[in-house]
Amino acid sequence: MSSKLMSEELFADKKTGFFIYLFVEAIMFTTLFATYLIYTPPQTGPYPGELFEWQTTLFASLFLISSSGTLLLSEKGLKERKMKLIVAGVVITFLLGAGFMYFEIEEFRKFITDGHVVSTNNFLSAYYVLVGLHAVHVTFGLGWMIVLLVQGRLLPFNLFKEKHKIFNYYWHFVDAIWIIILLVVYIPYLF
Amino acid sequence: MKKLLPVLIMLFLTGCNVRTLNPVSETGADQAFLIKLSFGIMMFVVAVVCVLFIIFTVKYHENDLNRKDIPKHEEGSRVLEILWTTIPFVLLAILAVPTVMYTFQASNTEAGSEDTLHVDVIAEQWNWTFAYENGKETHKELVLPVDREVVLHLKSTDVIHSFWVPRLIGKRDTIPGEENELKVTPDQTGTYQGKCAEFCGLGHTDMRFDTEVIPAEEFEEWLSEEK
Amino acid sequence: MEFSFNGKSVFVPTDVIAGWLSVLIITPIVLYIIIKNRYWSTILDYTTTTNHRKIGTLYILFSMLFFLRAGVDALFMRTQLLTPENEFWVFQGEKYNELFTTHGTMMIFFVATPILIGLMNVAVPLQIGANDLAFPYLNLVGFYLFLTGGTIFFLAFFFNAAPNMGWTAYAPLSTDSYTPGPNNNFYIFGLQVSGLGTIFAAINMMATIIRLRAPGLTLSRMPLFPWATLITSFLILIAFPVLAIALLLLQFDRLYDATFFLGELGHPVYWQHLFWIFGHPEVYIIALPAFGIFSDIISNFSRKNVFGYTSMVISLTLIGLLALMVWVHHMFTVGLGAFSNTFFAITSMLIAVPTGIKVFNWLFTMRRGVISMKAPMMFALGFIPTFVMGGVTGVMLSSAAADMQFHDSYFVVAHLHYVIIGSTILAAFAAIYYWYPIMTGKILDDTLGKWHFWLFLIGFHLTFFLQHLAGLDGMPRRVYEYTQEDGVWSYNFISSIGAYLMAVSMLFFLWNIIKTHRSGAKAGDDPWDGRTLEWSVPSPPPEHPFERMPVIDRRDMFWWSKINNKPLPVAKNPRPSPIARRTFQPMFLAGSLFILSFGFIYGWVWVQILGGILSLSTFVIRAFSDERTEAYKREEEENEQ
Repeated sequence: MSSKLMSEELFADKKTGFFIYLFVEAIMFTTLFATYLIYTPPQTGPYPGELFEWQTTLFASLFLISSSGTLLLSEKGLKERKMKLIVAGVVITFLLGAGFMYFEIEEFRKFITDGHVVSTNNFLSAYYVLVGLHAVHVTFGLGWMIVLLVQGRLLPFNLFKEKHKIFNYYWHFVDAIWIIILLVVYIPYLF
Repeated sequence: MKKLLPVLIMLFLTGCNVRTLNPVSETGADQAFLIKLSFGIMMFVVAVVCVLFIIFTVKYHENDLNRKDIPKHEEGSRVLEILWTTIPFVLLAILAVPTVMYTFQASNTEAGSEDTLHVDVIAEQWNWTFAYENGKETHKELVLPVDREVVLHLKSTDVIHSFWVPRLIGKRDTIPGEENELKVTPDQTGTYQGKCAEFCGLGHTDMRFDTEVIPAEEFEEWLSEEK
Repeated sequence: MEFSFNGKSVFVPTDVIAGWLSVLIITPIVLYIIIKNRYWSTILDYTTTTNHRKIGTLYILFSMLFFLRAGVDALFMRTQLLTPENEFWVFQGEKYNELFTTHGTMMIFFVATPILIGLMNVAVPLQIGANDLAFPYLNLVGFYLFLTGGTIFFLAFFFNAAPNMGWTAYAPLSTDSYTPGPNNNFYIFGLQVSGLGTIFAAINMMATIIRLRAPGLTLSRMPLFPWATLITSFLILIAFPVLAIALLLLQFDRLYDATFFLGELGHPVYWQHLFWIFGHPEVYIIALPAFGIFSDIISNFSRKNVFGYTSMVISLTLIGLLALMVWVHHMFTVGLGAFSNTFFAITSMLIAVPTGIKVFNWLFTMRRGVISMKAPMMFALGFIPTFVMGGVTGVMLSSAAADMQFHDSYFVVAHLHYVIIGSTILAAFAAIYYWYPIMTGKILDDTLGKWHFWLFLIGFHLTFFLQHLAGLDGMPRRVYEYTQEDGVWSYNFISSIGAYLMAVSMLFFLWNIIKTHRSGAKAGDDPWDGRTLEWSVPSPPPEHPFERMPVIDRRDMFWWSKINNKPLPVAKNPRPSPIARRTFQPMFLAGSLFILSFGFIYGWVWVQILGGILSLSTFVIRAFSDERTEAYKREEEENEQ
């Protein structure tokens, strides 16, 4: 009873499955947010207010949030089947994501050189697990974008379109998690 | 059969003397009452299910007469389904009321009077230390006066243990970094087994202690004795 | 036993030596059987296929192997507890702790959960008229993750490093301050890897049931096993991610000196919350599919439709929802306060209502039916009273104040075995007898099946019934000995005898399988006079059983078509099926994760990096070898014409 193309049906399957997967991710991050809230502020220092710097957080956020915007550009290219726009969108998104990672790593590096490591106190442990897991997701996304650029040349367009769209969901989701991280981890202790 | 008989006799004897059902304190008695009440209600449920089960399996068992039959389609029955939804609610309510009551009672551990005895119970791998207010300490031996209220302050220095004297009162965990309390008034003298109920590593099995409940005068004497 | 090795003397316990010896003996025998019967092509076929039925069979096969291993652990425990102050072999103290940790963890994670996923794999697509699961490749990945996790955990014993902190891994005992060494790292990584596999399986099941049902098979016409699978998948999606994070935090405590769960600095009780937020739904994850299986089997062998179908579905859903808000009933003695304890006591009691509805619906399904006493039905009949007994002790346990006596005693041990064996294990056996024709095309011997059933059931009640009394008499769980004056000797003695009886019953099962493969009868199509769609296709079904896709307009449509002598109507233009393939990639991923896990377990950084690179490379390989490439190309070419 299906009048749809095979690729459309199979894409709808995959979309369903991937959204369920994102639900799983959401539960994982929820658990980590709960963990962070339980252990912060810690009984002994250093306290989050002493460590966070608003400049780093601001720049990192600007980069990551705008990368969701540029990815929308690429999605627009997908609709109109303009390969150039797609590639340009992905490349800019990649650069913005890499910029975000620069600030993230900078923040970790600074904490660690100052002697604030995972085992220092429970706040820092929770911080590293939560923000670290998010950073791992962004890094994975960066690698995924490189793969996606190659796939654009090799795969039939419909399959590429599907892979691109799945990546979009992933990237927007990771972005949304960052916004919650901002609200839960950083903002209460920055002001 | 000859070999089986002693076993059966022993079974019968031990069955009559089950520790948690022969409590020596009021709190313990409340808990034993709850166990018996819930057991009674639940036996009713098991009986109903078993009777229906036996009737249906015997009556509708496949045999030469019905082998070829095709039973009628039966969607369900509103009346029956409402019946077995509401009756469990009633049964549960009978159980829930005393449960709530006794749970609140058991967690009220405030000392009733000035006279209340306070004992610090410190669990560690794999030992029990009981510290009295006058500084006296014992290991693996808890001595309590009869008919006097006791508040036990449960602490742990390493992992989680659980303080359990089946005949006296149900268990409560000892958690590192936190303090739990138990309030109990033993009402019979005697020696009762105490055990660690929460798995705590290598020596868990041997982490036992004796609880001795003795008359008040003897207790005062014992307490003032130098150890 | 002491060994001299390079001038250093190494102590190896005799049970580990015996373990290695048995491997050295069994491996050549297995190899001989494989070579003699030329099983190579079959093995290659099963290990690289994405067909749901074959993957399901593999799940069941390996769960059964783990079942035997964990069962042997149980026999050692029961032998150690046979008499007061017994000293059996090496199983006192640490070795006994390793036994019950391995037994519990394996039975829950590598037997109960995967065997049900295996049965879902075999039956659910066929019951809903799907040619395969929505993501066949992911399905094979999920299986290999389960196998890898199970193997990692399985191997711990052979390196004399079996986990020893109980399957619940209560902190701070499970942190490296109190249990140093690799032992409990095996637990973390075994569970982490297989847990991911379980999540993938749940995603797959859910997407399949949402997207791939036959035309006309609305949710309200779906058989109850797929329904149970749907609810179970939902529970898995909530429970297992929480476990993953709990294990991650524990890993940070153990490997990187964090102090999440250490006393004084962290919150030991937080581990218990996380663990039981996972752990309680897990109980229903392994119980609900069993309910689904029994609903189908009881209806089938009573030749009658399920009584009160709607209330069956509603009660499944309610149990699923309530399962998410009762976890604190495992923590009544922690001291969380009277309010929280009573709240969770009441929610726990409420679960009895939908469960009771199901029990009575099963009973009334049989009423006015024709009950055919075949082996699968015997297991289903054994289930009803057994499970009810486990259920009522569950209600007793939910009474918070009384639970202070029950908690962590043998009463709890008895209760949990009554519900888990009573539902999951009996369901697994029932379903194996029931769906064996679908898995292999042959039918298991009914007489041997009945021997298996009766011995297992009698052995089971002998083993666990008296444990209730032992618990009430003050026997705590997880102890390796008791004294004469504890007065629990007779209970334990009879209990051990029961355990041996259960072991004997398993020999009948094994013999049944061997006999059936040697000389068993071909099942033929529809051997049980079935009601649901899986029996409308040949046994065993071909790769694409629903080439002629049926159109469904009622429940038990296949039964209806048989008694009315009307063939199933066929859909004109059914939706496309998922695309199958043959692939070694999941096997490669499994190997990579195996290396990665061992890197973490023993703290070898270079092995971690190697395993990490290999694991990530599977993503890249997969990205450029998608099985759909050809089909999509063809479609595009057709559209251009």
